[in-house]
Amino acid sequence: MSGFIENLVNAKLRNMKDMNNVYEVGHVSKVKDYMLEVTGLEAVGFYERVVIANHSVGYVTAIEKNHVMVALLQRTDAIYVGDEVVTTGYDFCAMYSRAAMGHVVDIFGEDRLLGEKFEGLKPYMIETPAIPIMERGEVNRPFYTGIAGIDLIYPIGYGQRQLIIGDKKTGKTQIATDTIVNQKDRNVICIYVAINKTKKTIRELYDNLMKKGAMEYTVILASFNDDEPAVSFFTPYAALSIAESYMREGSDVLVVIDDLKAHADIHREISLLAGKIPGRDAYPPDIFYTHSRLLEKGCQHKDGGSITILPIVETRGGDITDYISTNIISITDGQLVLSRKNFEKGLKPAINYGLSVSRLGGAVQTADMKKLGATVRRKFLSYLETKEVYQLANVDEMSPEMQRSLQEGEALQERLLQYKFSPRTPEEIKRDFMEVVGNEL
Amino acid sequence: MEEVVVGRIMSVSELNVTVLIYEEKIKIHDILYTYSKGRKIAFEVAEEEGKVVSAIPFQSVVGLKKGLEVYKAESGLEIEYSDEILGKVFDSYGNLIDGKEIEQEHRRNVYARSVSLEEINLNGGILWTGIKVLDFFAPMQKGYKMGLLGGAGVGKTVLIKELIHNVYSGMNSNSVFVGVGERSREGKELYDEMNEAELLDKMSIVFGQMGENSAARSKAIFSGLTLAEYLRDEKHHDVLLFVDNIYRYVQAMSEINAELSRIPIENGYPANIESAISNVEERINSTENGSITSFQAIYIPADDVTDQAVQTITTHLDGQIVLDRKVAEKGLYPAVDVFNTFSKLIDIEKVGERHYRLVEETLRYYSRYRELEEIIAVLGIEELSMADTNIFYRTRKLRNYFTQPMFVAENYTGIKGEYVEIDDILDDVENILRGTYDDVDESYFLFIGKYNGRK
Repeated sequence: MSGFIENLVNAKLRNMKDMNNVYEVGHVSKVKDYMLEVTGLEAVGFYERVVIANHSVGYVTAIEKNHVMVALLQRTDAIYVGDEVVTTGYDFCAMYSRAAMGHVVDIFGEDRLLGEKFEGLKPYMIETPAIPIMERGEVNRPFYTGIAGIDLIYPIGYGQRQLIIGDKKTGKTQIATDTIVNQKDRNVICIYVAINKTKKTIRELYDNLMKKGAMEYTVILASFNDDEPAVSFFTPYAALSIAESYMREGSDVLVVIDDLKAHADIHREISLLAGKIPGRDAYPPDIFYTHSRLLEKGCQHKDGGSITILPIVETRGGDITDYISTNIISITDGQLVLSRKNFEKGLKPAINYGLSVSRLGGAVQTADMKKLGATVRRKFLSYLETKEVYQLANVDEMSPEMQRSLQEGEALQERLLQYKFSPRTPEEIKRDFMEVVGNEL
Repeated sequence: MEEVVVGRIMSVSELNVTVLIYEEKIKIHDILYTYSKGRKIAFEVAEEEGKVVSAIPFQSVVGLKKGLEVYKAESGLEIEYSDEILGKVFDSYGNLIDGKEIEQEHRRNVYARSVSLEEINLNGGILWTGIKVLDFFAPMQKGYKMGLLGGAGVGKTVLIKELIHNVYSGMNSNSVFVGVGERSREGKELYDEMNEAELLDKMSIVFGQMGENSAARSKAIFSGLTLAEYLRDEKHHDVLLFVDNIYRYVQAMSEINAELSRIPIENGYPANIESAISNVEERINSTENGSITSFQAIYIPADDVTDQAVQTITTHLDGQIVLDRKVAEKGLYPAVDVFNTFSKLIDIEKVGERHYRLVEETLRYYSRYRELEEIIAVLGIEELSMADTNIFYRTRKLRNYFTQPMFVAENYTGIKGEYVEIDDILDDVENILRGTYDDVDESYFLFIGKYNGRK
């Protein structure tokens, strides 16, 4: 038996040693949804772009002993077994033009509203190597969202990755949109990454940003839910690759990724279809790395530029401890948890102050904001906890300290309320909250 | 050395390259490499089958082709093994990444040297950390392995950094920090902080962070262990080893396992999870030469403490500190879950009767408090008996007392950190339990060092 294998291997070995002519054309041997098995491509590179039957585009996801696997990126017509597959000699890259600012584009460089390609498209590697540790600088410049609950209590800095997490209809996208709108005249390039969204949602977002004059410095990099899944999978990587090129020129970039739960589900779908072994909740074992390498692109570069990332994750039933959410929480520099209950009570933005975290905290605040923020946070959290335990207790019998801290808490709660598109400057925030706790600073 | 072609690439996927070998003898852990578009790509052999070997690539495999020629490297994975390691930062593969250089290289293979039963030394003094909740519930001894368990975002890294600050700065010894699959930003911050505090020259650092592929994340720990072994065996030091985060090593192993198409156990973990962890943990031991004291952060995936990887790692530990989201939610940091936190040192013969009894009594209060909370939610505080009312209020004070301002968390709290002596902790806890402080408002115990007499 082993002799038989040996012979087979030796024969193969001779073939490989003698192989002089290089095949450039292969044939589709199997079609499994958007994954194709192609035979006859002996000299194709991993990740190389290939053209199928002159009309569709795909890229090589695996090179196996007798065939290669190709994932479809664009399908314009039906694909049959036996169709010709031609190699191009190029790695698959995203196409992007600086002229795309202010538009809704996809990773092929097409304006999705006008349906035409931009001039001056340049290739961007989908994935660039990790940004070396020693090239990173300290994250310490305050990045203002205009929302008091964030700027004061759970602040964000240039180069930070802050997760926005919550159920459907809790205002996640609104916080991201508010943040973009607040960047007007601050010299920040905004990239809104839409993963697997409906066309209607994108249209609405575009109109909203347009109305507020925010499209001047924003590009929406979108994949729609009728695009091929591989496109949706690549869109955030392409966005970060584009952001990196801006950053290396010294610009500050904000990337909103809406949303990573959808991205995880697409990755699971593609992996299972490709026959990979599933892990927890049927997600492939590399699901953590899928998101960690993406979000690690966010940084303050030592030479000046920065990439700030606001990824969004949608939860179910308010559970932020599910597999994907905790994975992403363990990558980001903090999370802003939005709660359905608060939203229903009209406490907007519906931030759950107990569960939210900023790992950078005061490091990204000015000295006075930091002092004020730390005090407000401590008092407000203690108020929320005390309120819960003593809600049945008789207020009149409480110690004067307790009564005062409950009143103070209510005053803070009231000042944290804020409606959409009504940003507050740091000065306004300071003024509002100093009124409550100022005498203790 | 002249490069000799040993085989050709047969297949490529993201984390697995199979190579057809001609004549050469290849063994597991050998390093092969190839050139593609002017880029050198190395892989480490993980599996052999006849003339075909499967290897794990260290770099991105984009552009690799079938038929490319493969060479064999002179040696397997190595790292520097000399005094030169101090003050340096390495990547998982033993390369310097801080721009420094080592002139005379003395390198050593990073794999497998467990300590024999005979060599193991159990003796060591108590190592106080100055963190109240740790010293009280889970005191540390030289040579111990202490786990810091927690879900995402409950404060593991802050605690590790505080330990570095308190223990390492106070102990006249060298230390090794291994960053496995954690944030690059935090890695850089650690480097900068150590540099500023002028502690860097007593420390060696290895980073295989989360932006890097699974090969890098699975190898960092081996490189780090080799550095710690050098300090123990050659320099005869008491070494502090900080690992943040050991879970990521298992996670990387799962990724590799899946790419090799090996059948996993629950949640995608590799079937050889036990031996994979033992390979690491059995090397962290103390001998007559010196000790290795380790603090290992352990991530709890999906807040599931029964997770196979977490459970397998904790069987190796001498103690554990569990951080809990429910505590963190109340703003009580460090967010320790006292019920699951323990150390082998909590033993009458080791810490003495007073400390032991206080821990026992405190836990009794905490567990009654937990029951009372439910009763209060229905009936209100007024309905409790006198004894229960006392337990309720005193436990709330204890809970607040076990929060602490941390040196490295000044940015979050706005309060300067405090180091607390164990005698003060025992006195304060005793006084709270006895009711000496019954008339002090509970908020005065929040984020303080030792109780300051404020009323």
